[in-house]
Amino acid sequence: MDRRTFLKIMGTGVASATAGNLLAPGRSEAGERLDGKEFYGILVDTTRCIGCRLCEKACAEVNGLPVPDISESANQTVLESVRHTTDKQYTVTNKYETTKGTVFVPKRCMHCNHPGCVSSCPVNAMKKRPTGHVTWDSNCIGCRLCMVSCPFDIPKFEYDKAIPNIQKCNLCWDRFNQGVLPACVEVCPTQALMAGTRRQILDEGKRRISGAPDRYIDHIFGEYEAGGTSHIYLSEVPFDQIGFRKDMGTKPYPEYSAGYLRAVPVIATLTPLLMLGIGVAVRMGREKQIEKHEEKQDAKGKH
Amino acid sequence: MSKKILFVLISVIYIILIASGLTLVYSVGNPEPARQVLTAEDNKISIARTEIFGKLQRPQVIFDHKKHEEAYKQEGCVTCHPMNENKEIVFTFPKKIEGEGATAVMKAFHDECIECHKKEKKGPVTCNNCHIKDLANVEVDIPRAAFDFADHNKHVKIMSKFGKDDCGQCHHTFDLQEQKLIKRHGSEESCASCHDLDRKKGPQLAAITKVAAEKGLSTRRVSHQGCLNCHVEYQQKYRQMNKEDVHEIHQEKMGCNDCHVSGFKQAVSCSECHVPTECSKCHTGKYRTVAELKNTPRPHRGQNDIAFIDIENSSMKGVPFNHRAHQANTGSCRLCHHETLQACKECHSLTGKPEGNGINIANAYHRVQSEQSCAGCHNKITSEKECAGCHYYISGMDVETMNPKKNTCAVCHSGRKDQSSMPKPLSTPAVREEIEINVLARDYKAAKFPHRDIIDNLVMISNSSRLATYFHRDIQTLCRGCHHQSNSAAEMRIPQCRNCHMVADDRMNLNRTKLLSAYHRQCLGCHEKMEMTQARKCLECHEASAGGAAEIVQFRNESVVKQNTTTMLNVWRPK
Repeated sequence: MDRRTFLKIMGTGVASATAGNLLAPGRSEAGERLDGKEFYGILVDTTRCIGCRLCEKACAEVNGLPVPDISESANQTVLESVRHTTDKQYTVTNKYETTKGTVFVPKRCMHCNHPGCVSSCPVNAMKKRPTGHVTWDSNCIGCRLCMVSCPFDIPKFEYDKAIPNIQKCNLCWDRFNQGVLPACVEVCPTQALMAGTRRQILDEGKRRISGAPDRYIDHIFGEYEAGGTSHIYLSEVPFDQIGFRKDMGTKPYPEYSAGYLRAVPVIATLTPLLMLGIGVAVRMGREKQIEKHEEKQDAKGKH
Repeated sequence: MSKKILFVLISVIYIILIASGLTLVYSVGNPEPARQVLTAEDNKISIARTEIFGKLQRPQVIFDHKKHEEAYKQEGCVTCHPMNENKEIVFTFPKKIEGEGATAVMKAFHDECIECHKKEKKGPVTCNNCHIKDLANVEVDIPRAAFDFADHNKHVKIMSKFGKDDCGQCHHTFDLQEQKLIKRHGSEESCASCHDLDRKKGPQLAAITKVAAEKGLSTRRVSHQGCLNCHVEYQQKYRQMNKEDVHEIHQEKMGCNDCHVSGFKQAVSCSECHVPTECSKCHTGKYRTVAELKNTPRPHRGQNDIAFIDIENSSMKGVPFNHRAHQANTGSCRLCHHETLQACKECHSLTGKPEGNGINIANAYHRVQSEQSCAGCHNKITSEKECAGCHYYISGMDVETMNPKKNTCAVCHSGRKDQSSMPKPLSTPAVREEIEINVLARDYKAAKFPHRDIIDNLVMISNSSRLATYFHRDIQTLCRGCHHQSNSAAEMRIPQCRNCHMVADDRMNLNRTKLLSAYHRQCLGCHEKMEMTQARKCLECHEASAGGAAEIVQFRNESVVKQNTTTMLNVWRPK
């Protein structure tokens, strides 16, 4: 190889690497402040929840879903088994028997700081709004990758529709834009649900723990789990007794694949060039070989 | 190697692997024999000694102690058990172990047991007749024997009747200088102080406990040695008593059938009522409650009825402590005197010292999480259901003192040496009979709150407890259970909940809940903590309003509603 070819190869390599980085999707920093606005969240205090399920009823009413029966007799049967959210219920309240008695836990979308569902959506139908709400838009293509990527198993698919939607809590995004509290927070009779900026509710959660250390486990679930969530939970008993996973880790789920994904455009541009370079070098080498062979034949007097 | 041989070899290996895999998957495991539990009544002992032998090669031996006891009633315990230099029977087995290690122990067991069986021509001599395979999983569960105040009192009375009324009959201590046991009257402790080898002791007792541990003198060993020697001695004495004398003593108080249970040819052993030597007589598994021991006299140990607790150089006034009243409320001195029977300040100084594990005297008295401290024990009592309705939500004493109100500390720290005065019992003041709460009535009608009845109930609960009466000096303390931020000095009348708790969420004060939840958490919280069975459900406090519940929330999430209400092309809708 001569100097010119070497420099050509180097030059194209560097140029493509920079281009590759420019082409890769911008990394969305999900810090506390996005566009100068703070994340909004809900503090869920499971020591206050009495399992009345008014949150389920209010959520159904404001979202046009079938309203569940929350009379005393219905609650007795419904609360017997641990339920998941469904495509008709964005939030459910579950009853757990723990070492400290009965605990009721409302379960709903956690509105993670760096959501796996948003990162995995190929058409950006799942959006993390600047105010923290994770909302779903109708340009969804029904691939269900968000269901795979959610560590809390929240997004639910409408299997019974020909044009299906993904259904999940969106922290009452429309009501928020009208300056009103989320429906579940507004109706909770014991204020087990409290809404505010993430900073405010974290402060309040920590204040409650320090004010009554024998009444709370010294841990706010969602402060750092899965990179931090906007629905944060306080509890009297260890969280694995009330249906939370203990092995969540503090790394946001998109980070697990972010490295690999970022490398894709770089490799996609570099590899053809590399192959090209190898092909050129091989061809040049072969030409030289043919030349040498012909010279030898000449010298021997053959043709 | 040719291809053919290789093929055959590999197929053989495959066949072996498949066959073994199938057998593993389809074989049934051996069912475990059912677990049998023997109690103190059976009077059987499990000989396993896993601390010496580790994992057993042969199953444990279930030794029928009762059978052997009855067989050697005349010869006595010394048939099998060794004696020490003080002529006391030491209740260990084997009598003599020659050498060290597990093999020596095994040999000693075999020598002593099998030799005797061979000599008497009774009893198993072969391996499998003692090490029975079916009994491998038998568990011997003997409950801990309790020696409470009632038992102690009984022994004191009996022994003074026999002229042995110095505590030194049973109580001793160990002199580290002379390295021997001595009797020191006035400083008797419980056996567990030195002989409870499992519990970590402070520096004072640790040296003595170390000596006890070296000699293997655990509570189990010394209680059998100390108690049974005396019991066995007196059992022999009673057995040798004249029949006429025995009848004369017992005839007046008891009927014939009380002793002659199965015919007149024999009577039950004296140990049935007097000096018990059978396991189940002491290891009953029944423990007297504090209430049952309330009137039992406590041991005399030089304690004052009222102790004036005054620490030198401290900042707080002294506390007149009614020791006599507190004595009657525990089942064991060790609840408070957790290490020795000295006063707290002997080990816990103002600034903390090693004897007290670094805990200073203020914390020794006030630590809310402790079981031994004053505040800790009181805190535990307030978590019982009669008190928990209010006290669950009142911070512990050490948090309360962060905003010191004069009444909190002065209740105990009066500085007066005389009898700590009990305040008068409370009586319900003139308050409203019933209060109608209608400020939030919409889905439900107004709630009728039986104000006076509740106060009457609380006053009754408070007056029935000495502890409550002492601390609830003023009816205001009860009012503050619900009117929690009330300060009578600043108020003209008690405020209503809605004066502070707004109907809507208070964005600025997240810790001050909205009015709806203030009512629900206050009311329902108290009912839950007091474990009430009524007044827990919605309709028990307020009826549903005539029109039924209105739609709860007015603003809807319009975009979500739109996508949820379009029913275009819904192919299949399951139930």
